[in-house]
Amino acid sequence: MNVGLAWRLLRGGGRRGMLGTWLTLGAVAVSTALLLFAVAVDFAFAARADRGAWRNPVAAGSRPAVAVEASRHDYVRGREITVVDLAALPGKSPEPPPGLSRFPAPGEVWLSPALAELAGRLPAAELAARYPKPAGVLGDEALVHPDELIVVAGRAPDAPELTAARSSDWIVGSQPVKVASLAGEPTEDAEGYQVLALIASVLMVVPLLVFGGAAARLTVARRDQRLAALRLVGATPGQVVAMTVAEAVIVAFAGALAGAVAYALAVPLLSRVEIDGGPWFVADLWPHPLVMVGAVVAVPLLTGLSAVAGLRRVVVSPLGVAKRETPPAMRWVRLLALVAVLVAVPVVSRGDSAGLIAVVIGLAFLSINLVGPWVVGLIGRIAAASARRPARLLAGRRLVDDPRSAWRTVSGVALTGFVAGFLGLLSPGTLIGTQDTGHLRVSAPAGQAATVAQGARDRLSKAGVAAAVTTRKDVVVIALKDATPLTDEDARRRAPDGLPTQTAPATLDRARTALAGLVPGRTPTTQADDEYFGGEILGDIAVGTVVVLSVSFLVAIASAGITAASSVLDRRQTYALLRLAGTPLEVLDRARRAETLIPLAVMGGGAILVGAFCGIPFMITDPNLTGLVTLVVCVAVGFAGVVGAGALSRPLLRSVTADPAPRPD
Amino acid sequence: MNDVLAGRALTKRFGQTVALAGVDMAVRPGEAVAIMGPSGSGKSTLLHCLAGIMKPDSGEVRLEGTRIDDMGERRRSALRRSRFGFVFQFGQLLPELPADENVALPLMLGGVARAEAVRRGREWFAPLGLGGMEARRPGELSGGQAQRVAIARALVTRPAVVFADEPTGALDQTTGHDTMRLLVEATKHNGASLIVVTHDPGVAGWCDRTVEVRDGVLLTAGARA
Repeated sequence: MNVGLAWRLLRGGGRRGMLGTWLTLGAVAVSTALLLFAVAVDFAFAARADRGAWRNPVAAGSRPAVAVEASRHDYVRGREITVVDLAALPGKSPEPPPGLSRFPAPGEVWLSPALAELAGRLPAAELAARYPKPAGVLGDEALVHPDELIVVAGRAPDAPELTAARSSDWIVGSQPVKVASLAGEPTEDAEGYQVLALIASVLMVVPLLVFGGAAARLTVARRDQRLAALRLVGATPGQVVAMTVAEAVIVAFAGALAGAVAYALAVPLLSRVEIDGGPWFVADLWPHPLVMVGAVVAVPLLTGLSAVAGLRRVVVSPLGVAKRETPPAMRWVRLLALVAVLVAVPVVSRGDSAGLIAVVIGLAFLSINLVGPWVVGLIGRIAAASARRPARLLAGRRLVDDPRSAWRTVSGVALTGFVAGFLGLLSPGTLIGTQDTGHLRVSAPAGQAATVAQGARDRLSKAGVAAAVTTRKDVVVIALKDATPLTDEDARRRAPDGLPTQTAPATLDRARTALAGLVPGRTPTTQADDEYFGGEILGDIAVGTVVVLSVSFLVAIASAGITAASSVLDRRQTYALLRLAGTPLEVLDRARRAETLIPLAVMGGGAILVGAFCGIPFMITDPNLTGLVTLVVCVAVGFAGVVGAGALSRPLLRSVTADPAPRPD
Repeated sequence: MNDVLAGRALTKRFGQTVALAGVDMAVRPGEAVAIMGPSGSGKSTLLHCLAGIMKPDSGEVRLEGTRIDDMGERRRSALRRSRFGFVFQFGQLLPELPADENVALPLMLGGVARAEAVRRGREWFAPLGLGGMEARRPGELSGGQAQRVAIARALVTRPAVVFADEPTGALDQTTGHDTMRLLVEATKHNGASLIVVTHDPGVAGWCDRTVEVRDGVLLTAGARA
């Protein structure tokens, strides 16, 4: 019965009522889509970790070994190739790894689709000749991402590639390991990404929950009067609550469905975002159906709960009159928390570890959130005390009246501003792209450096690659002759011999191909290759930052829009009566704008400065101009978005004041 | 002409409903007039047309001889701000502002400096029995006190006419009568006219005369001694 009445109330809400309904529906849709994204990201990284596990062998231990597995990295055109060497032990018939129809026989290779495509496109002397006799193409189950370059090479168990010692550095590859199966386990690298994804999810989900609450308030804002009337005609508090829940849930359910559809439509676009070396399989970004159903059910329920909380005053008082008193001033001790963090940053940052950075970010985040409402209240007091015009006086008084609400409007942007300020100084741009690619180095087995060097000379000469081959202890250094010196100071400082050079990618790949298999199990690498992993991680941090910033800003913008709209609806009677008594619309609109703009400017700017201050001790290099510009643009777009979203409620203000409840009475 | 405000042959329709069907009504300076009638009779529409809130479909409204119904919204809005005062049933005070700033707001909107506006606004507190409540916010005032603040706000610009729409509708009888007494006395003391829309004969009894509206037509134009 309540649901039926709620449905009739919803449909009979009139034009203004429907506007509020659409706004709520839109807000819930955005919320749901972003929530699905935040959750799907975790599933996506978990799926990647599972698919890549077979390349991270686990020693057989007490179980009977069936195969030997080793991996290393090769490079082409600045991209990484994962080379997995596999051999079945004598008399054993191991299950093939995922994505292979059978266990690779000695001498044959299986290429990933992207690598097969690249090998067909580049001259054979630059790539294909490294992996002769391709027997097949790996299926998607073997790949972390669709663009991954990977080769599985079948070997005999006593082949040099599986008996010679390799580097013990897990970034370079893994030692030959006897395994009982090719199930493997997720790499540390993959697990690290899962942890980062989880942190990003939390960063995105928390504002989303606040946002969902704001959306629910919008439903309540336009309903409280009618529901108060229901109380007057004898509806019990329980009935009023049930009707509110029903109404909010109906709208939120429609919004959640719309959000799920929006997310489904966005998945192909999202799958093109490159993280950890490449884009995504669309299926990875599609949450489990139960998660999908859970989100579409949980979001409306949470919205209903928020609506109940927002309706308490109507339930308590049938007249719906909110008693408003002068709010107690917030305690300045909140400021001490921020000061304590700012003092602690330079002291504790000497430890210089990733965990510490996370702790500092977390503490600064918390303290900004704690001090935010206090500062907003303070700004309000200053604005009200110094106001000469009515608009500023109104804005200032409102900030003092409910600083938490004003803070909620701008907190998303302020906290994102903190992240932007922090990361602007950590920007890793200068670490990537200036490395030495003119020298290849490979470690020779002990005492064999001269033999390996001679082998390198012969192979390069035969391939027509001009190079000077020298040895340094057990390391063979191949200096490509057509390389040009790098004059960049930073590159010179970081190059092992202080004379960095860069060569044409085609020449480098011809040299790599000529040298393939020179030292079994080892890949000749350049300094750029050695820094590939670090560069990729830093690049991923940059991409992840932009993604988190984008989502945060989207939530902040939508939240600002919703808060502004519900603020207009909350005060619609007062606005209408003020307008009726001759108050210009511009004054009301200016007050409404100033209410957002003043704290936005102070808190957004302040948070960026605090973020930058916290970032200074962790600065690795000079601030990167491109990174700074990107983040400044991001913040500017976010600020403009919040102001724009607030401006959208101007027509709503005009609507609620244009027609001061005419009735034929 | 002695009328401060006069409506002639006012008509207004809302769809098929006729709210006003050729109403004539005039108010003299310092006069208090009650408009009575059952719900849906058109009394609030008449008030809205006379106050320049709403344009009549036909007919004219003149303030001190100047026609106002054909003015644009901006000019009518400025007129309402400077020459009219308003008291409503409830909800007209800004909950964030203390009482003195609520009263000073119309002056500030008219360009008076804030300090001067607040000073002039506070002058109304003692005569209306609100002494010591200048810094209180609406939520800290009783219903009767809030209506007295609203009366102060309506009078602070020294308007020609004060319009009151069910000013005691949300008050108990005793408080309602006290409020009406203050409203009538303060308005007259200020030299302004008062037009009150009410369905309560007790409230109408405070006015110089009562007019009754029924089905959009003015039935009586009674005078009070």
